[in-house]
Amino acid sequence: MTVMSTPSSIAPRILISISDLRFSYGPAGAGVRPILEGFDLEVRESELLSIVGPSGCGKSTLLSIIAGLLRVDAGTVLVDGAERTEPGPDRAMIFQEDAVFPWRTVRANVEYGLQMQGKSRAERHRIADEYLRLVGLVDVWDLFPRQLSGGMRKRVDVARAMAVQPQILLLDEPFAALDVMTKEQLQLDFLGVWAKTQLTAIFVTHDLEEALFLSDRVVVMSRDPARVIRDVAVPFSRPRDRTLRTSQEFQELRGELAEQLRFETGDLEAIEAT
Amino acid sequence: MSTLRIAAHSALRPAIFIRHRNVLRRLVVPLVILGVWELVCELGLVRPLILPPPHAVWDAFTGMKGQLPGAILTTLSITLTGFLIGTAIGLAMGLVMAYSVIARDFFGTIFDFLRPVPIFALIPLFLLWFGIGKPPEVALVSMGCAVILGVSTSEAIRNIPSIYIRAGLTLGARRSGIYRTVIIPYIFPHLVGAIRLAAASAWGLDVAAEFMGSQQGLGYLIIEQQIYLRTAGIFVLVFVYCILAIVFDVLIARIERHVTRWTERRSAKGIVASIVGSQ
Repeated sequence: MTVMSTPSSIAPRILISISDLRFSYGPAGAGVRPILEGFDLEVRESELLSIVGPSGCGKSTLLSIIAGLLRVDAGTVLVDGAERTEPGPDRAMIFQEDAVFPWRTVRANVEYGLQMQGKSRAERHRIADEYLRLVGLVDVWDLFPRQLSGGMRKRVDVARAMAVQPQILLLDEPFAALDVMTKEQLQLDFLGVWAKTQLTAIFVTHDLEEALFLSDRVVVMSRDPARVIRDVAVPFSRPRDRTLRTSQEFQELRGELAEQLRFETGDLEAIEAT
Repeated sequence: MSTLRIAAHSALRPAIFIRHRNVLRRLVVPLVILGVWELVCELGLVRPLILPPPHAVWDAFTGMKGQLPGAILTTLSITLTGFLIGTAIGLAMGLVMAYSVIARDFFGTIFDFLRPVPIFALIPLFLLWFGIGKPPEVALVSMGCAVILGVSTSEAIRNIPSIYIRAGLTLGARRSGIYRTVIIPYIFPHLVGAIRLAAASAWGLDVAAEFMGSQQGLGYLIIEQQIYLRTAGIFVLVFVYCILAIVFDVLIARIERHVTRWTERRSAKGIVASIVGSQ
């Protein structure tokens, strides 16, 4: 396993710039303690960034804010220099819950975003087939989601989000509900798909190993208030395969981060399976 | 175990019996009722005015053959028109009330007020407002159906998992797009029960409407039979209503099966039977 110094020598452009974010559930100023306060984060173009942290630390909330699904009390989210407050296909999101539309066939699901963009039927077919091939579902295009396994439905979800050719891909613990085998396979396949598109992606997870295995950079968050307690460039070269997980460097880095997370949060149960 | 039993069956019984076993089983109870009915009448236990024997009902049917097609047509047109208008209005009201808070504030009160009102109590008013003839009858059927659909629609929309809406929004759907591509397809299977209920109610509302002031149609014929004490004729007309209602229900069920083929409740036996067993 080769260990590189820093990921890239070219100065990467900042695509997402989050500054001084404040967010609380419930009416503003109602004395509710905010989930996020004075939160800053920058994401570079074509970077696969993972955010890890204990449950309830606000990482999923942060993702929903970037997606435009939640309104902030204060602060800005700049994407490509412009403020985004409404949801849009430039920031496609993949959720932990099963979000595949059960009333649409696999292909119709993947075509959904394209249909919303008003693309022609032929165009939709072409793009959908391309992404179905990419996630390995080209043979089941005419099935309904209820006929697929959980892992396959997740693939549909990934294909659907990528088919709209977003600028940013937001992933909210997408594989958390899957069994370990399926999860590991999907992680590998996701890396394959991601490598082809080089999309800027933010991957929220509570699984440190998943975060290290997938990303270029890992941000560790703590809660109350949400803040970044560690920002690590992941030094492993790509393409990555299963053997990376068992390598000594990988395990050392994981152990170090887990230790720090336990220390910072004072919560031994915070990080599962580490 | 069950394969053994099936094998034993097919060895002993003719194949045609096996294939139609379900149909034959279903016929047992109606045939028994028919037999008891005839027997009770033959033994003179009940006066024919109260319960005419089955063969008298048949005679009444052959006697009314000439009148029936026209009456059926009238009744069908009232019931179906009322059902379609009412369903459309109810669906639209439900959707509009879910779409806009303003609409909900405006119409919600009226809707909540009308919901518990027994529709039949409105018959005299409808006659007063719309006169005698088809319009009040159609209006009555429509109103009954609209209330059923309106309530079910807003209820179904309230239960949509937000994940589908969030997913739609992040994939670039606007508000109207969410309605067209998420809300309507999602609620449809949940409305099937309401639509079937509305269809069944439509027949009842039609009968009531025709009782009040119709000059044609099946309900009117029933009143006519009653005046001339032709009990057998009433039986005939009740059967005709039954058959129409059943055919209509089966048609709706057919359409339902096609439109909701994405859901998991497709199998005829249903989920409970598949768990508990249906032997």
